[in-house]
Order: sequence, then structure tokens, then C-alpha cells
Amino acid sequence: MGRPVTSRLERWLAPAVPLARLAVVRRLLALFVLADIALLTADVVPHAKGPDELYQPLLLRRALDLPAPGPAYVEGLAAVLVVAALVVAVGRLPRLAGAVLAVAFLDWVSIAFSYGKIDHDHFALVVGLFAVATVGPAGLRDPRTSAAAGFALRAVQVACVATYFLSAVAKVRFGGWGWATGATFAWAMSRRGTQLGDVLAQFPWLLRAGQWGVLVMEALTPALLFVRARWQAVGATVLVGFHLATWAATRIHFLPLVVCLAAFLPLERIVPAVTGLRRRRATPRRAADASRPAAAGAPACGPPRA
Amino acid sequence: MDLPLTRRALLWRGVALAAVTAGAAYGSLRGVDDHWPFAPMSQFAFRTDPDGEVRAAFVMAVDARGDRRELALTNETVGMNRAEVEGQLEGFRSRPERLAALADAWAALHPDRPRLVRVELLERVTRMRGGRLLDPVQEPVAAWGAP
Repeated sequence: MGRPVTSRLERWLAPAVPLARLAVVRRLLALFVLADIALLTADVVPHAKGPDELYQPLLLRRALDLPAPGPAYVEGLAAVLVVAALVVAVGRLPRLAGAVLAVAFLDWVSIAFSYGKIDHDHFALVVGLFAVATVGPAGLRDPRTSAAAGFALRAVQVACVATYFLSAVAKVRFGGWGWATGATFAWAMSRRGTQLGDVLAQFPWLLRAGQWGVLVMEALTPALLFVRARWQAVGATVLVGFHLATWAATRIHFLPLVVCLAAFLPLERIVPAVTGLRRRRATPRRAADASRPAAAGAPACGPPRA
Repeated sequence: MDLPLTRRALLWRGVALAAVTAGAAYGSLRGVDDHWPFAPMSQFAFRTDPDGEVRAAFVMAVDARGDRRELALTNETVGMNRAEVEGQLEGFRSRPERLAALADAWAALHPDRPRLVRVELLERVTRMRGGRLLDPVQEPVAAWGAP
């Protein structure tokens, strides 16, 4: 009875997904890389101009025997990233430019994390860039279903879920089972609190309840890999809400991870919706098609549909 | 399915994803930061004692004109951000002369501004009681003066 189990696993691993959905996510990730290197990991450039002494290369860089990055190297790398990201974003050479983008971004982020601190918000994005590069050409309006696209999006989903679930694992590993009864949120508010954070810090019980909520939420995220599309969208929206709240209280944003949550949404509906709205002389049939994605794109705002 | 994958194409994809996932799991169960991208997802994973304290590093600097002020610990000011400085805090404590690197970075990033002649690294320590934050105090870590 191996055959049916295998095909069920195959359907999970590489579900039939419209190429258009992959096309949207791929462009989104590529464009996000531009924002990332300009804003989030921009430190790479001033780091490279600073003293080599502060550079403490990660195992990955030592294993590959990569040199301490100087200004010329990181500026060249930035140029490669920009070109590759733009080529992917316009839909050209998706495998080649996508692979260059993924490798160059891994290089870039590993430099950024070689100065004494790493962040775990980049894992899903790095995995995601490699994953979307495994799919050939995909148009924004290509309705054909593809197993390759299904796998790539599944891989992004797995990387997102791994980030959340393993955050809960790490909390138990480092903080013990009593992590949620500690004062980690108060610690965060003290170090990086916004005005909202300062207010919240006056209610230790509220912060403790929040810690329980986060731990339980993170531990439950693997369910997102097995539920229906509607609940995936709901789950992704809840997670975005969590990140918004965290950002409001501490200015910690996890944006590279948030962007990857797009892999949980039926984004192939966006392009027809946008163009449908633009075309005033849409036929009634097209207008009906266009209204559906608008609701699905913002699942938190509309009532759940059966 | 309009565009299926062959068995082989699916197999290597599945193996690759399983390997990456296993690496991430290893990172959080047994790994350390150095193993990134297979590092533990450990941001905010440490339990903080509700009756303990919160420490935050900051830097006071004196420039060639004699002005003494707090410098924001960011890559734009001194080439390192606060978390990075804190990650190397014990290194600065045992070898205060390493603070010269911050002054050098400042000079490289601000060629038009007066150079720093003294850099003091301190920690702001906020005690907690029952998870409530009390008033902070300052503790010196290391200081460097231009020779």
C-alpha cells in the first residue's frame, strides 16, 4: 500500500498551484531584497569600511574561506543583487537570475550577520529565494497549475513555519518551560520600548499573558501546512497582526519573514482584480471575477465564506 | 495538474527541503549562532527573571573639541549597532583599547566632524520587581582615550 501514501505525500509536497501565484510571490521576494539590502541589512557597507577586527565570520564563511569583505567587494555584491533582483522582478531568466539572486543574498546576509549578532528573521527569505528559483518562466496571468510552483511555495511555507515553531523550541531550550512566566517582554520594552511599549510595561500581567499567547501561537503554526487555503490565509493574517503589534510596541518588525507569509495567500487573484478594477468597461462576468479576489486578499476584513 | 513534475524532479526537491528543515531543527535543538542559516531561532528565547535586571549598553564619547555626549550605537555612527557591541562586551571589557575601533569607524564615517579622543562604554541597568521596571542606574564597562 506504499503507492497511495506516496501520492498523498507528493500532493502535499507539490500541490497543483497556479503559476500566476508563484509569479507574484517570486516578484515580491525579489523586490523585497532591494528594500532589505537598502534598509535592513544596509550595515554591510559601513561595516566593510570599518576595521576588519570587528568582523567575526560565521561558520559558513569560514568553511568557504571567504575573505573579510572590503568596500569594493560589498559594493560589487550589491550591484549583482540589484541587477539579479530586477531581472527576476520583470520575469526574465527566472532560474538563472533567481539562483544568482539567492546565492548573492546568502552571501550578503551572512556578511551582515558576521559582526557579533544574527537575526532569525531572514531564514525564510533565504530559503524562499532558492525555492522560487527552481521554477521556470511564470507569467502574472498564467492560470496553468504547476507542481513545481506548488513545491516552491510549499518550501516557503515550511521555512516560515520552521521559523515560528523553532522559535518556540528555542524558548524552551534556552528559557526553559518557564519562559512564558518570565519578564522577557518587559526586558524588550525596557530596551526598545516605544511610547506604547512604555505604557504596556506598566502592566506586567498583560505582558505575561502576551508571552503565553506567543508561545502557544508559535507552537501551533505547523497546522498551517495542513489546513485548507482559507485557514492558511486566516493564519497568515493573524501572524501579520502579531508582527504589527510587536512593531508598535518595540519597533521590531521581522519584515523579511512577514513578506514570505505571502506564500500562504491566493495571490494569483490580485492581478486580474487590479486590472479588472482598472478596466471600466469590464463585462459583468469579469467584474464578478474581480470582486472575489479583493475579498480574498484581505481575509481579516471580510466574514469567512463557506 | 497542467504541469506535473517527474518523480526524479520531485524527489530531489523533497530531499532538499527535508535537509534544510532538518538543518533548521538541528540549529534550534543543538546549534549555535555561528551555524547560521542553521542557527537557533533564539531571539527573545531567554527567560528574564521578573525580579532580575535589564542591561543595555551605551557609549559616551568626547570629541577633539572637548564635547562629551552619548553616541547612538548604530552602524551610521560607529560602524556597529548596540546588539553587536553587546555581543562583544566582554572583549571590550578585557581589552578596552578595542574601543579605538569605534573611534576609527566614527572618523571614517564622519570625515568632516571632529575626531573622538575618548570613548566610554557603559551599561544602563534597570532592575525589575515582579516584572515591573524600576529606575535605571549606570555601570561603566570600559574606556579608551586617544594616546
